[in-house]
Amino acid sequence: MPPALSEQAPLKNIRVLDLSRVFAMPFAGANLADLGAEVIKIDTCQTQFMDTTRTITGPFPDNEPGERWWEQGGTFQNLNRGKRSLTLDLRNEESQQIIKDLVSICDVVLENFTPRVMARFGLDYASLKAYKPDLIMVSNTGYGHSGPWSNFGAMASALEPTHGTGAFMGYMEPGPEGRLVEGDVPNKMGNSYSDFLASWTALGALMASLLRRSRTGQGQWIDLAMYQTGTSVIGTGLLDFAFNDRRTQRIGNRHPFLSPHGVYRCQGHDQWVAIAARDDADWVAICRAIGQPELTSDARFADPIARRQHQETLDEIISAWTSGQTSYQVTETLQTAGLPAGAVLTAKQALTDPQYIERRFFETVHNPPEVELRDKGYVGRGWKFSKSEARIKGPAPQLGEANEYVLGELLGVDQTRMKAFAEDWTIGNLPEGGGAPGSVPLDEQVEIGSIVAYDADYLNLLQSE
Amino acid sequence: MPADLLNGFRVLDMGSGISAPWCAKILADYGAEVIKVETPGSGDLARRMGPFAGDDPNPEKSLTFLYLNTNKKSVTLDPSSVSGRKLLHRLVADADALVENYPPSVSKELGLDYASLSAVNPGLVVTSIAPFGQTGPYHDYQATDIVTYALSGLMYHSGDSDQPPLRNVLDQSFYVAGANGAAATQIALFARLSSGEGQHVDVSAAECLGAHLVQPLPYYNYMGAVKGRRPVRGAGFEELMPARDGYVAPSVQGSRPWEVIANLIGLEELLDEKFSTGAGRVAHGEELKELLTKGLAQWDRMPLFLASGEARLVFGMAQDAGDLVNCPHLEARDFFVEVDHPVVGQAKYPGMAVRLPGEPLTASQPAPLLGQHSSEIFVQELGYSAEDLVSLRQLGVI
Repeated sequence: MPPALSEQAPLKNIRVLDLSRVFAMPFAGANLADLGAEVIKIDTCQTQFMDTTRTITGPFPDNEPGERWWEQGGTFQNLNRGKRSLTLDLRNEESQQIIKDLVSICDVVLENFTPRVMARFGLDYASLKAYKPDLIMVSNTGYGHSGPWSNFGAMASALEPTHGTGAFMGYMEPGPEGRLVEGDVPNKMGNSYSDFLASWTALGALMASLLRRSRTGQGQWIDLAMYQTGTSVIGTGLLDFAFNDRRTQRIGNRHPFLSPHGVYRCQGHDQWVAIAARDDADWVAICRAIGQPELTSDARFADPIARRQHQETLDEIISAWTSGQTSYQVTETLQTAGLPAGAVLTAKQALTDPQYIERRFFETVHNPPEVELRDKGYVGRGWKFSKSEARIKGPAPQLGEANEYVLGELLGVDQTRMKAFAEDWTIGNLPEGGGAPGSVPLDEQVEIGSIVAYDADYLNLLQSE
Repeated sequence: MPADLLNGFRVLDMGSGISAPWCAKILADYGAEVIKVETPGSGDLARRMGPFAGDDPNPEKSLTFLYLNTNKKSVTLDPSSVSGRKLLHRLVADADALVENYPPSVSKELGLDYASLSAVNPGLVVTSIAPFGQTGPYHDYQATDIVTYALSGLMYHSGDSDQPPLRNVLDQSFYVAGANGAAATQIALFARLSSGEGQHVDVSAAECLGAHLVQPLPYYNYMGAVKGRRPVRGAGFEELMPARDGYVAPSVQGSRPWEVIANLIGLEELLDEKFSTGAGRVAHGEELKELLTKGLAQWDRMPLFLASGEARLVFGMAQDAGDLVNCPHLEARDFFVEVDHPVVGQAKYPGMAVRLPGEPLTASQPAPLLGQHSSEIFVQELGYSAEDLVSLRQLGVI
């Protein structure tokens, strides 16, 4: 079912061919769909070659992959909302030709194969440009299409330390005299941070290219290396090496210049609040807010330099105050006093957080009954336009739901050929081979640490808020 | 020479610190003409942020400022004064976009709200970046990076499960917000091509990060599960593990058979059948971690990383700032640019995140000195006389 389009959708006349998989580029494509672009996701019936967010990533409703499990993954739904789906089998030449024919009527191509694979399929930018001279294409890879590492594969979890964010992230370690010192072990933002940096970078580069195309008629190939995307956001750290020879900074949640600065334990299981003092006025306000005005004249805490020297003592004082309250109570008290403080929200808390609710950040999506998904909220985006429309246009597409539309209507493939495609599983609406993914019981997931806890009555909890 | 993509666009960067300047720098790198509008005397807040070149706290030596403001011009004016606002409006009249990150209440006081600016130039795109956006119960909340990261819902998932949530020292919230702001500003400019009108873009840094919750969110609203930080138990894959000269991130991902991984690490015991499936690696996690530790101890980071890439595996390695500045791959891709600054001298700066074949590489104009381009812009472009500038300076307007 094509999504309803509004005149106010900024990309209403843009068609996108989305060959990409997993997180980074599919999410860029989902954002383009939110803006009104027609985004055609290239799917496949061959289970082993399917986008892994359709097959193994989950999560599945109530942790039970249903009869149509390949339509149900929660992460898949977030990353592919509002798109159309065409199945093909890129191993055969006919499918490769269909991609090329489709490129000739698309504006943008998104892909994240390694350079070797795209060349083997004959789908590299130079080949596709012959079909669409002003094509704009993002090729997203770990290391880019040139240089000695260009054929190396990459996944965000291992790429993150490689692109250097881990040099500036890590817990402190015990040092002499009970003081904590800079840690040795790199840590990670986690949650596929590198992937999202690539999504936002791709979106910016695509828009710059579309603006130029409208001015000059030129296309553009965007060679996006996630290694570089991650390196570009730590510029301060790289210049600190260039000018001062410093290589790392692993100081937990402390700040190199400000104090106090950190997260403090609150009431409840694994609950925390972040607190930062930007200057001495903030420090005075903190002392008053926690009911210890006498600290303002304590020489150990006279200025940020002294406070950083006595940070362990200071953190104990603040923790003693926060630990008897909820993270929201602490936030409220300190913000009322004009201080930067914020609860470290879990996703559960975010779903019912007043700020997210009032700004309607989570957008409800309705899936057709056969997918067996209740209406749920999905992540929106961090920007609102006063005039243009940006909203989730519909659910993620069911496998091959647009086969007839794309092949028949857009490309004029005749029924005889369509039948042949269906017979050899090039097109279809069902997975070929492989069964439903297994699911690990939630109790066991708590046990191995892949989740913290679970609420059996989560539906009621979400509804009552 | 900058890239040509945004050639002809003029952007006013009224930002300070990180988010809006990073947004404007991305636009500058794509070829827009970006003019920083700074407060007379003190300028962009980043000029006071450490670290500094040579650890000398001089406003022209802030490394964050130097990095985030390459390829821009700088003028000074005080938007709260009558003459300053008049100057600003002259600039606004000729601009395509204006990016700012004042606290929402302050931007209104300064006349930087969309209603005032669009009255001067209806085609202007105004992008406002704030920690929580322009509306909602938190819009006036005080925030720094760690507070924004916390309230976004993302920080909870960073770090180890037996330790507190952990942030990155380099203010990542505001880089994510800036990159989103650059995309959103251009979307509004693209919409202007058909509507002829500008509009207001309200960017919330916390929501930009909240959009990353594509796993933790459905974990809860699909099955009631609270996803947390990385468990400390496990076999050591997808974790940072010690190698001989630092840390590496061995990975089982990449769709290659287990024996390829076992052979790469090069420890015979790893070839045991019981480790060859995901379930087996969980069941024998502790034993596997011990063997992995033993195997990795024979490797330096770089040779292991290269051998993994050749074997079509996806191992990572922990690199520090020095490793990256000297990385042969980044050098082969001309990632770093030599920038020569009149006060701090020459250094290698990170270039654009993307490579644009056929376009010039990242431009290398140094960050501007405070008000460096005031006379160029005010006299040559806006037609003020040199005497006018003197009187504006005496009034403290520029």
